[in-house]
Amino acid sequence: MSNKIITMVRKELIDAARDKRSVMAGLYYAVGAPLLMCGMFFMLIGQLTSPEDLNIKINNPQGAPDLIKYLSSKGITQGDADKNKDILLVVSDDYASNMAKGISADVTLIADASNEKLQKSIRRLEKNLQQYSSEMGSLRLIARGIDPRVMQPIKLNVEDQATPDSKAGMILGLATMTMIYAVFISGMNLAIDTSAGERERNSLALLLSHPVSTGQIVIAKIISVTLFGMIGLLLTLIVSKFAYSFVPWQELGFSVSVNSSFIGMMMLVGLPVAIMAACLQLFVSFMAKSFKEAQSYLTIVLMLPMMLAMAASYDIAPDTLQWLPVSGQLQALIEFIKGRELPGMQLAISSLITLAISALLAFGMQKSLKSEKIVFGL
Amino acid sequence: MHHGMYSPLRARVYPTLTCRKKVALAVVIWAAILLPTVHAQPLTLSAPTAIISTDTRCYVDGLSEQMNCGSISVPEDHDQPEGKHIQVHYVVMPAIKSSGKSEALLAIAGGPGQSAIENAKGFDQMLAKVRQTHDVILIDQRGTGQSNPLQCVGDGFESPLAINESDFDAGEESQKCLDELDADVTQYDSLSALRDFEAVRQHLGYQKLHLYGVSYGTRMAQLYMRHYPEHIATVTLDGVVPMQQSVLAIGDAIARAFDLLIQDCSNNTLCHNQFPQLAAELDKMDSELAQAPKISMIADPRTGEATQLTMTRSKFNGALRMALYSPSVRALIPHTIHQASQGNFQPITGLYAMSMDGAGIAMGMHASVVCAEDWQRLTPQLRASANQHYFGREMLKTFEQSCAVWNMPAVDSSFSQAIASDIPTLILSGELDPATPPSWGEMAMEKLTNAKHFVAPYATHGVAYQSCGNNLIAELVEKGAVTDIDGECLNKDISRNFYLNASTVEAIPRDTDTKQAKTALNQ
Repeated sequence: MSNKIITMVRKELIDAARDKRSVMAGLYYAVGAPLLMCGMFFMLIGQLTSPEDLNIKINNPQGAPDLIKYLSSKGITQGDADKNKDILLVVSDDYASNMAKGISADVTLIADASNEKLQKSIRRLEKNLQQYSSEMGSLRLIARGIDPRVMQPIKLNVEDQATPDSKAGMILGLATMTMIYAVFISGMNLAIDTSAGERERNSLALLLSHPVSTGQIVIAKIISVTLFGMIGLLLTLIVSKFAYSFVPWQELGFSVSVNSSFIGMMMLVGLPVAIMAACLQLFVSFMAKSFKEAQSYLTIVLMLPMMLAMAASYDIAPDTLQWLPVSGQLQALIEFIKGRELPGMQLAISSLITLAISALLAFGMQKSLKSEKIVFGL
Repeated sequence: MHHGMYSPLRARVYPTLTCRKKVALAVVIWAAILLPTVHAQPLTLSAPTAIISTDTRCYVDGLSEQMNCGSISVPEDHDQPEGKHIQVHYVVMPAIKSSGKSEALLAIAGGPGQSAIENAKGFDQMLAKVRQTHDVILIDQRGTGQSNPLQCVGDGFESPLAINESDFDAGEESQKCLDELDADVTQYDSLSALRDFEAVRQHLGYQKLHLYGVSYGTRMAQLYMRHYPEHIATVTLDGVVPMQQSVLAIGDAIARAFDLLIQDCSNNTLCHNQFPQLAAELDKMDSELAQAPKISMIADPRTGEATQLTMTRSKFNGALRMALYSPSVRALIPHTIHQASQGNFQPITGLYAMSMDGAGIAMGMHASVVCAEDWQRLTPQLRASANQHYFGREMLKTFEQSCAVWNMPAVDSSFSQAIASDIPTLILSGELDPATPPSWGEMAMEKLTNAKHFVAPYATHGVAYQSCGNNLIAELVEKGAVTDIDGECLNKDISRNFYLNASTVEAIPRDTDTKQAKTALNQ
């Protein structure tokens, strides 16, 4: 019995190997996704750590030359008219005379705060104006014979329990999501090919005419698709391990490393997910009438694990999500990355639910392969 | 708080800002002059923020992040390994992305007598780029901070605002302090401390160190270059005291910084118009206070309660001198002098309050270093030149008395030789520095064959804290060579205009008529 399954798995893999291009296309994700993520992080870090000079428009700059000089020493200048961002800073006409009298001097910042491109620049300008104002405030107190420290009644001491690893949790959550998604993408083409594809080539009926049970056929197909998913996952992890080490995470104040214990953990936790992915994809493909239809359905069906994964990574999930497939495993993995205790209960239950769903789907497939409607795509 | 490096800006914005002590050699010396003032308040030994045993996780003042703390036990007298031992404490601020454990940066505080660990926040901010890839080590040098501090706890005098410093006898105060200390003060010199530093390096297992020394810390860094060159990768000397120089020559540097301030103001149209007689006013105040202190009733800068202010020559000059350490506080000096000459001591009291509680300096350790290494090599010429200025004279007087009590053995003459080395070395000087002028940087370069000296035109003492100097350090640590380092960015004008009254740095309109106001602004 098991010999037959092994033989059929080999048959599936040989079939897959024959159509290298489409199968390899699935694995492209495994290599491409981590590289794309790295590229994205490179850009993000570059933007965060070396802010470009900010060009703004300033009305009446001659009213506050020292303020303007301070801003320009912080990289905020009145640049060429066409390069100016849509931020206008207006120095009031009575700025100098109010300042001289110790009255608050008006400076008006005019910008559209709903324009997301501007928000960062607006915050930067506000922060610098606030600093300038605070510094002057302190010196004004000194000039009046008062210790400026009286303005600081509470000294807040913060003891942060985070480690450099746990600070990377958010980033790694996103990265982990793309990794686990590899098991869905990598096996997808094979799943379609071995079900809807096989039916279109009329080899499915031939296979069913052999002395093997539909259960064995289904198991063999699940195993080969799972195998592909896992290969994709492993490949993603290996590529990530190298690619992520080139990203200058330290500039964000934490470190990200994909180490071997993480890879091991990920493979272990990913296995039930890969099995479920295989069952789901095969089931949907069998239900579809043609290869193309299967592709369309799968694209839609794959939104589901994607959404579960996103909900888990961004921590916007209701509590019940921690028991569900994909989101449950992802949350457990994120805890693991952060160096906290692995939530064993959560992981066990979500993995069991994952396997239960897989079993149901497999059972459904086994039943359906007995129906002519499915076998001949009627 | 303090001293020189106090930045009012941070004080408000960040809760712990007051702890950003920068390390000012001069500060210490000033503190020495004001020994009684320092004693005036019971000095509390700052308790470690975390319980420190060997190599534990801990938090340091002002930083929320976990650090590694530890201590090693070293003989108080290195030549008697069986004798009394003291604990030397250190903190390792771990690299964010460690590039292996073989190299780290050792940041050395100034004073002498300041605690590196108490200044962790300032070092962390300044060295943020270096910390991305390298561990940063802070060691409380023996006699400072948590490492058997040689603090002198005074008797609790009247308010520091009310005392007259000239009533105190530095010799007597030093004797009292010496009697209270449970330590052989002759073992608290720089060379003994250097052996501790090397022991900490070995204990932590780093092959090579990058050094950053500021102010007095530059002397420790230079000694490290001389005695253990094989363990040094690069060196940054910020506000350097060359080995050839006794810090007691600081009086000239202070006078130079005052001259530069007066000159800056007269070159600035707004400042010159507002304070045309600045130099004369400063002289007038100085000579009036030299005659007799002025006593008045004021509101205490902190409590607001009525209190007596005895404005002495020492307070007046000392507060102005401390203000010269910070580029932003410096802007207030012309206004302060002018108001004082008009009889208004509010601004000078405000400045004095900023430095009133000492500079976080362990005065006993300070005396051990200065008496062994600077006092003893005072030549007649140096003494004559120091006597030309108020600060130099006061300093000589103070150390004459306290060093007689401290009775330190003199360092031998090789101590004062220029450092000859080919270790990549970056020297930073601030043009406006009231402690270590750019000419001292030149002197330090004498026998350094692989060094660059940059002068930051708008910086005072502690260039890396005030300019892009910290980026140059990061570059040096990363590349391990000075050849490519370009100091152009140090020329960026970060100065603020002088305060023209107690409120403004902008031109004061002559009246409220807008048209006229604009003309005034445009000039």
